[in-house]
Amino acid sequence: MADSMSLKWLLWISLYLILGIFVPWATSIAWAHQHNSNLRPRPKQLFERGELGLIGLVLGISVIWDLLQSQYMPQTRALGAVLLAVSGTMAGAVWIETYCRESNGVRLNPERAWRDSRNLAFLVFSMAAVIEILLDRFAKVAAS
Amino acid sequence: MSAPAPALAEARRTVTVRLADAAIAITYLSLVFGFLLVFFPISFAQIIQNSWMKGNLTVAMMVITLSIDACLYVRIAYRLSANPTVLAALCLGSLPIIVAVGLSFCLQGAVDYTLSGDLPNLQARIGEEILAHTYLGLVAGIFLPFLALRLLQQLKAAKSNRETESPSRKTAPATS
Repeated sequence: MADSMSLKWLLWISLYLILGIFVPWATSIAWAHQHNSNLRPRPKQLFERGELGLIGLVLGISVIWDLLQSQYMPQTRALGAVLLAVSGTMAGAVWIETYCRESNGVRLNPERAWRDSRNLAFLVFSMAAVIEILLDRFAKVAAS
Repeated sequence: MSAPAPALAEARRTVTVRLADAAIAITYLSLVFGFLLVFFPISFAQIIQNSWMKGNLTVAMMVITLSIDACLYVRIAYRLSANPTVLAALCLGSLPIIVAVGLSFCLQGAVDYTLSGDLPNLQARIGEEILAHTYLGLVAGIFLPFLALRLLQQLKAAKSNRETESPSRKTAPATS
């Protein structure tokens, strides 16, 4: 079994969860409290326009940067970076498509936008976690 | 007069693939891979490295990605009660094989590059390269065929939209 240092990526990912999802949600609750509003949005309502896809894209960019700084061979770095970039872009595209549909008055399905952005954000999230574990392992091998 | 049954059958939808469906399968695959890496860091890596040395890794990746792609597509078709298409069968049947073969060449290149360099701990480095390529290959083998299918379906839909719009534009001056 891996040592506790290998689990540092868990802390790194929880930073994204806290700052990317929990803090905006808590801020909306705080705003409602400050303005004596009955507004009590759930995370689903807060991110129903595909904003989770944007968070996924930002997460993907940071992992691409880590990957490019690593000592993996250029082929591996390129493959990982391209895959993360494509999945991050597709996650971000959900947010863009929802914005365009809303602005243009084209039929919009918030349920679908929420589902797509959530699934694609989880995809980037899980890929980022595995790649960070692999980077951690490789850094130990390169250092020894 | 009610619509005849054959007409209704013809109007049955074809499967429209959404990347979100493939994304959830890759998420589960990543979670399993990550779990094995964290809890069985040596034995799991050893199994993959031995498989590569025996030449079975590429075939195993093909089988895994083809099976997941097929199951996923059939599940989507069943859920939407829609007809599978030839385009989808072509994409999902050929792309995982192309991706697995392409990545095996890529991995061979990475291993040769590692061996040519004067680097310490060569054996462990190669093992880590194999591990990374296996994970990225599995993800690419599932994600890329569905991405290609999605883009092709969008192109096809845009083309048919243009075709349905252009006759009405041509006839518009005549009717006005």
